[in-house]
Amino acid sequence: MLELATLTHEQSLSTLTLNRPDAHNALSRDMLRDAHLCMDELEAMDDKPSVLVITGAGRSFCAGMDLKEVIIEGDPSIPLQLLESLARLTYRIRQFPAVTVARVNGAAIGGGCGMTTVCDISITHADAKLGFPEVDLGLCPAVVAPWLVRKIGPGKSRQVLLTGGLISGARAHELGIVTECADSRESLDEVVTKVTSSLTSGGPDALRATKALLNTLDGSSDEAILLEAARLSAQVLATEDAQNRLKARRK
Amino acid sequence: MITLETHTIDGRSIAMIAFDRPDKRNALTPEMLVELNTVAKASSADHDAIVLTGKGKAFCAGFDLALCQTTPDGTIMRKLLTGLSAACNTLRLSERPVVIAAQGAAIAGGCAILGGADIVVSNTNAKLGYPVTKIGVSPAISAPYMTQSVTQGIARERLILPDLFSGTTAHQLGLVHELTEEPDDVQPRALEIAAKLAIKPPHAYAATKGLITRLEGDERETRIKQGLETSLGLTGKQEEQRLLGALTF
Repeated sequence: MLELATLTHEQSLSTLTLNRPDAHNALSRDMLRDAHLCMDELEAMDDKPSVLVITGAGRSFCAGMDLKEVIIEGDPSIPLQLLESLARLTYRIRQFPAVTVARVNGAAIGGGCGMTTVCDISITHADAKLGFPEVDLGLCPAVVAPWLVRKIGPGKSRQVLLTGGLISGARAHELGIVTECADSRESLDEVVTKVTSSLTSGGPDALRATKALLNTLDGSSDEAILLEAARLSAQVLATEDAQNRLKARRK
Repeated sequence: MITLETHTIDGRSIAMIAFDRPDKRNALTPEMLVELNTVAKASSADHDAIVLTGKGKAFCAGFDLALCQTTPDGTIMRKLLTGLSAACNTLRLSERPVVIAAQGAAIAGGCAILGGADIVVSNTNAKLGYPVTKIGVSPAISAPYMTQSVTQGIARERLILPDLFSGTTAHQLGLVHELTEEPDDVQPRALEIAAKLAIKPPHAYAATKGLITRLEGDERETRIKQGLETSLGLTGKQEEQRLLGALTF
């Protein structure tokens, strides 16, 4: 196992860490495969955690899709494989019967920002950079769009996804993309611990039942729309314009 | 334990319905919710607007948990949940303006009732929130109302996080529409708003409220039922018995 995503357990709290710090935890097929293995392990646990924290190793949370895998130079099906894997991972995180908390320790960009919006609760700090710059790169943020709409509503999602660019953690908090915003990177864990202790002090059955109902009410159980989104995103990504912009970004 | 006063302002009649158990911070009993339901229905027919509030410093601190403990099998908890869901729906479906004056505290079931209002008034330092998972209870009953008043994301966060938040935060989130500095100013402000709304043509008001409800879609009733069933599903179970039973007053 490559261990590009790792899992630790401490009583009723588990932590899934994206573990490609040298690449700012960019989404590659290998890292996503390891994250799926973590989800396999979590789903197989008899005594499941009541809280699952998702975070990134190093200074970033997740920098979005790995450029090496979305610039088409060999097998043209690679980006679709990556996008489908991401779509399925977000679905599994949403369905997992524990409260999910994104500990957004640093940059959360594109698909990486999508990973935070799929979590029930997300916590970042004022200086982190978040956002959905897909349109700037000629891409379509299709896989993350359903999660962002469920998080902040269709009106604000339109503004955020069609404007592109990056925003600070503080601005992300104003927009409702994150639940809590610590003053600085140094004080992030204080806020995270306060939230997770509060959550683990309660009744896990009550939390699970509440989450399951919320998933039913907001259409989170619709996996088909995510896979359709992955196909749409892959189509846009394969256009000459998008490929040229991605190549320019690599240089 | 529910009182009804009529205020006449500019020739319009405003029903001021109040929880009247101030020594218990208006903690709810099954009888209070049944009574609220009846009084709210009658007031919609007899008055031009409704203000719902609580006597004393706190609007409502939630269910009477000491009373719930007397039936560990969950009998009273089930009555409370069912009564709360019905009361929220009655307020929501009222054709008249419904303003809630939530001074001081609107906690758990007391916060859930806000889902029945058109306009919520509170004060900056009031305490609001849904800390019920801490006692093994699911706030699911509120979800169908809350997702109508704020975004699904905010509803998810606030129903899952068991921490209380201030009136100021509730105002930022969109759960509270008008804020006063002083708790004592909440009820007068709510009456003022109700009086302003009461002079609007009733047919236009009823048509608009009806339309907003219809826009919630055909699934509206199903969602309310699912919310109630989710909360009922935990009553009398091991976790709720253990956590609720451990509370001391």
